[in-house]
Amino acid sequence: MAAVIELDNLHVRLGRREVLEGISCRLGVSGAGKAIGLLGPNGAGKSTLIQTILGFHQPSAGCARIFGLDCHKHSRQVRSRLGYMPENDAFIANLSAVTFVHMMAQLSGLPAEAALEKAHETLFHVGLGEARYRPLGTYSLGMKQMAKLAQAIVHGPELVILDEPTNGLDPAARARMLKLIREMKDDHGMSVVLCSHLLRDVEEVCDEVVILKAGRIVHHADLEAERRANRRFVELEVAGDDAAFGEALRDHEIAAVTEGAGRWRIVLPAGVDMAVLWKLVAAHEIDVRRLTHRRDTLEEIFLKAVGHINHTAGEAAAREEAPASGRL
Amino acid sequence: MAVYKRGYQRYQGPLTSRTARLLVLPWFAWRRLFEQRLLIVLLIVSLFWPLACAVFIYLANHSELWAGLDREVSGLLEINGRFFLTFMNVQAVLAVVLAAFAGPSLVAPDLANNALPLYFSRPLSRTGYALARMAVLAGLLSPVTWIPGLLLFAMQAGMAGWTWLASYWTLAIGLFAGFLFLILQLALVSLTCSAYVKWRAIAGALILAFFFVLAGVAETIDGVLRVTWGAFVNPLRMMYRLWCELLGVAPPENPGLAGSIVMLLVLALILVWVLSRKLRPVEVVS
Repeated sequence: MAAVIELDNLHVRLGRREVLEGISCRLGVSGAGKAIGLLGPNGAGKSTLIQTILGFHQPSAGCARIFGLDCHKHSRQVRSRLGYMPENDAFIANLSAVTFVHMMAQLSGLPAEAALEKAHETLFHVGLGEARYRPLGTYSLGMKQMAKLAQAIVHGPELVILDEPTNGLDPAARARMLKLIREMKDDHGMSVVLCSHLLRDVEEVCDEVVILKAGRIVHHADLEAERRANRRFVELEVAGDDAAFGEALRDHEIAAVTEGAGRWRIVLPAGVDMAVLWKLVAAHEIDVRRLTHRRDTLEEIFLKAVGHINHTAGEAAAREEAPASGRL
Repeated sequence: MAVYKRGYQRYQGPLTSRTARLLVLPWFAWRRLFEQRLLIVLLIVSLFWPLACAVFIYLANHSELWAGLDREVSGLLEINGRFFLTFMNVQAVLAVVLAAFAGPSLVAPDLANNALPLYFSRPLSRTGYALARMAVLAGLLSPVTWIPGLLLFAMQAGMAGWTWLASYWTLAIGLFAGFLFLILQLALVSLTCSAYVKWRAIAGALILAFFFVLAGVAETIDGVLRVTWGAFVNPLRMMYRLWCELLGVAPPENPGLAGSIVMLLVLALILVWVLSRKLRPVEVVS
C-alpha cells in the first residue's frame, strides 16, 4: 500500500540553520482515512515539515513525497490534492464566509457553480450555516477556526493538514472540531495530519504519531497498536484471601506481582484475555474492588521521546513484572 | 435537496484549467472594487477627457464648422501624434489616481490578514498570484487608457479616411504600447507599495507620492544642483520621453531615450525584487 507521506533523508535549511536534519519515515496509508499526529516541543521543526510538504521550502537534501509525488518538483499536483488549515488567523476580513470559501474552492479548481454549492454545503457541515453571509472579521475565534477548516476541505482533498485546529476553542467547540476531524477520516476517507500541542486531541483522533525533536524524529508510534498492547497491563485490587489466586495466576502462566493489601499488577500474555482473569477471581471467591488497565498515555510517550522521563509507566510495570513474577 | 439537509460530500467532479484558476483572483477583486462608489465616480470622471477629445476629433473633421477661423487656429485642430500625446498625458494622471485608489486593496489585505499561505497552499504559484493581481489593475486601467485611445484613433481614421490612416497608422501601435508600459509600471508600483505597507491608506499615499513627489524631487535636483539628470528620478517624465518616441513627437532635451529605457527597466527590476521578497507564504527569519 502506498504511503501518504514519505520522507527520505529530508534536510531543510532556513538561513544558516538546519531545521530538519535528515528525516526518514513513511506515514499513513493512501486512501485508508488515517490520522497522523505531529508532535514535538517548540522549535522541533513541525511547522517547517508542514511547510516543506506544502512546497513553501525547498529541501536542502533528500525529499518529501505526498502520494508518491515529490513535494518540490510536483508542488502543483501535490497542492491540488491537499487542504491546509494554518495555525494563525488567515482569512480576508471584509469577505463573507461564503464568498471566502467560494473563492478558495475555485482557486482549487472547482467550477464556479460547483464551488458555490460546495461552499454552502461545507459551511453548514462545520456549523457556520447560519452565519455564512457575515463578514469573517466579525467572527469569534471559534468561528474563524471553523471557517479555516471549511476552506481546507471545501474541494474534497485527499490529505488535510491541520495546524493546531483546536487552538483557542472552548470545550464544546473543541469537541465539535475533533468530531469533524474524526468524520473526515472515518466517513470521507481523507488522510489527516494533525499538528497540535494538545496531546489529548492527538490521542483522541490519531492512529499514528510522529514526535520530532531538534529536527529529528525521536519516536514514531502506531497508536492503535500501542492501545492494544496497553490493554495487557492490569492493576487489580481485591479483598479476601488472594494467596490461592496468585497460585492460579502462575498456573495459567500469567505474570503477576503483589504489592500487598490485595493489590496486584498483572501482565496478560498473548492469547489470554480478561475473561480468564474474571473466571479466576470468581473461582477463588474474592471480591474485586478495583480493576484498571495500566496504559502509557501519549503524554508519557511524548515525555519519554523528548527526554523528560526515562521510561513510561507501562514500561516500568513490565520491568517490575519480569523479575517479580518468578517469585510467585 | 436543500444544501443544509444534504451534508458534506467530497467533490469528485472535473477541475478547471490553470488559466481559469488564475482568473478567479481578478474576478473576485473586481467584484469587490466595483462595490465602491468612489471608484465608479473616478472611472466616470476618467472618461470626460476622452469624450472631450472625441468632440475635438469631430470638430477637426468637419471643416465647415470652423471655416470662419483663421489659419493659425485651424492649424491647432490637426489630429496627429501631439494630439494623442496630450490625450495620453491627461489620462496617465487619472490612471495614477485610479491605481492609488484600487492598488492598495489588492495585496495589503492579504498580507495583513495572513491570507498568502491559503493561496499558496493551493495550485497557485507566487508568479501566478502576482500576475493575477496585476491583471486586476490592467483590467481596471484599460478602459481609461488604451481602449478610449484606440477608439479615438478609430474614430479619427473613420472620419479622416485612408490617407490619414496610411500616414498615421503607427500612432495606434505607439498609443497601445505606451499605455501598456504605463499600466505595467503602475501595476508594479501599486503592488509593491501595497505589499510593502500593509495599511491601505498609507499604501495609496505612497503610490501617489512615488509619482508626484518624485517629479518634484527631480525638478528640485535639476534646479538646485544645476544638472540635467534629475529627470531620471521622475518615472512619469521618463515614460513621457518614451511616448514621444513611440508617437513620433519631437522629444524634450532631457532625459535621453536610452537613459530613460534603462532607468525604467532598473526601476521595474527593483520593484519585482521587492515584490518577490514580500510575496512569500511564510516569513523566514535567518
